Amino acid sequence: MSVRVVLEHLTKKFGEVSAVDDLELEMHAGEFVALLGPSGCGKTTTLLMVAGIYRPTSGAITFGDRRVEHLHPKDRGIGMVFQSYALYPHMTVAENIAFPLELRRSIPKAERDRRVREAAALVRVDALLDRRPAQLSGGQQQRVALARALVKRPDILLLDEPLSNLDARLRHEMRGEIKRLQKEIGITSIFVTHDQLEALTMADRVAVMRDGRLQAYATPAELYARPTNRFVAEFIGSPPMNFLDAEVAAKNGSFVARAGELEIPLVRRPAREAPEATVGIRPEHLELGAPGEGDASAEVYIVEPMGREQIVDVQVGGHRLRAIAPPGFRAQIGDRVGLRFAPERIHLFDRASGERIA
Amino acid sequence: MSAAVAERAPGTLRWSSLVPYAVLALWTLPIIVLYVWLFYSSFFPRIEGFRPIGGFTFDNWRFLWDPQSVPQMRNRPAILPLTLNTFIFAATTSAVGLLISSMAGYAFSRLRFKGRRLMLGGVLLLHSFPSVTLLIALFIVLRTLGLYDKFVGVILVQTAFALPFGIWIMKGFFDNVPWDLEMSALVDGAGRFRTWLRIMLPLVKPGLLALAVLLFVEGWNQFLLPFVFMPSGSQQTLSTLVKGILGEGRFVDYGLLTAVGLYYIAPVLILFVLAQDQLMRIYAGGVKG
Repeated sequence: MSVRVVLEHLTKKFGEVSAVDDLELEMHAGEFVALLGPSGCGKTTTLLMVAGIYRPTSGAITFGDRRVEHLHPKDRGIGMVFQSYALYPHMTVAENIAFPLELRRSIPKAERDRRVREAAALVRVDALLDRRPAQLSGGQQQRVALARALVKRPDILLLDEPLSNLDARLRHEMRGEIKRLQKEIGITSIFVTHDQLEALTMADRVAVMRDGRLQAYATPAELYARPTNRFVAEFIGSPPMNFLDAEVAAKNGSFVARAGELEIPLVRRPAREAPEATVGIRPEHLELGAPGEGDASAEVYIVEPMGREQIVDVQVGGHRLRAIAPPGFRAQIGDRVGLRFAPERIHLFDRASGERIA
Repeated sequence: MSAAVAERAPGTLRWSSLVPYAVLALWTLPIIVLYVWLFYSSFFPRIEGFRPIGGFTFDNWRFLWDPQSVPQMRNRPAILPLTLNTFIFAATTSAVGLLISSMAGYAFSRLRFKGRRLMLGGVLLLHSFPSVTLLIALFIVLRTLGLYDKFVGVILVQTAFALPFGIWIMKGFFDNVPWDLEMSALVDGAGRFRTWLRIMLPLVKPGLLALAVLLFVEGWNQFLLPFVFMPSGSQQTLSTLVKGILGEGRFVDYGLLTAVGLYYIAPVLILFVLAQDQLMRIYAGGVKG
């Protein structure tokens, strides 16, 4: 039922422009993988190559032990949900879901009807079978699209920005539901998104792409804890990581990163000598305290209460840093506060290449 | 200004908004007068200017039930076969034109093939080509193929002339169908042909309907091609009868002419009234290059 998917040296050029450049990805059977990146990073192009709609310029796509890059979409055993859902407006919900089966003569009518109802029940649209797409809400259309993708029992499920057309509340609901469904069926699934939150919450592993190249491929926890480069560090996490240009220097047998008058203690030794570095620290790893406490003294620039927490921007030595403070923390604009860096949570990147060095 | 427009209750008219109506009414007046004249002069023996001479009569319409009493109809098929011919001519050219236009329009809209731009350019060029200039060349082609003076030959020529417009219109409609739907059909397991038949065609149905009506009307109204390429056959169409009434005999029987003319345009008028919503869409439906 579910198969392993391997992409090797996958490249797609449109004229002179490489939309996808030498992509290497391997997905386990039953795994849920997110392709994450800003628009134009090549994630949708990759998905359409897996689907068979785009032909790769070079490289190989393997499903299980089948090479498929030369196969027509209909021979690949895939189901796909489009960003626009792409429901056929002139057909009822039942006809939409039945369409993939209609093309297989071997399935008798009774069996077809049974499977349409089964797929509809799986995503809870079985009460809507006689409606037309225009009479459905966005969430319902989404479910019908899922049922249509799953009805022919594909080996692989592809989802292109499946949640971006839904409102915030529904998006949260469908996020959980798609994840549960994927685990329940155990189907190898690939979904494309530009929203790091969707990728982190839904996927088993996330492939971060930029300019057609793979930046990182890891579990959400790894991506968050040890981003491979500055781009990934910036893209993953909300609010985004703080960055400071700093010099790495030895001090008392240990290392520190100096950014102006700021001195940030490092617990890990940089992987290589790189005096020109960028320090990254996530807002949630920057602790605010009473004036005089911690590693530095800062001035509160703005406070944004979020209910569960507060986002506090502080100014220190010409840098502006963002921190997350507990709801009980009280500070006004202009107040002095103490700043503590969690030394084991400091990320260090090479300033020129952006690669992680500690 | 815009607030004032918004506040106006629906159904009420301002004096200022009467101006466009007045201009349009004046503009269309000659056409309306012509139709009225056509209608009532078919029920009088003679008309001088707008003044009928003699009493109300159905005499001009006798070509329907007593064609032998009408000299211009003696060497022609009866009115029913003539009407049927015209219908077959219009319906066939419309159906064949529709089939080819919807296939070629899809290909131009969706497929990337060698010579696509060149062929699209050719389609546009042919659309603006005056067909009269091709008459002699067509005559030679039809003669060579043995299709001169044959119904099939004229139908082929008429369809060919209709194609550039039809292809262009259908391409515009296909262009407006989202790519996602087609990709989805491909992933669902349909081939190109089935995608075209089951997904694309139903979605351009307004275009198909409008084009069907337009091609039918064009075929119904066509005079030159049947007149030139089918001079002797028993398969003449109504337009050649109208020409016959105009051009044969010592004087033109205007009463008869208006009656036959009215009979001839009635189906077209009815079709336009029934299909005007569809026809509007051909111009509103967006035609992109």
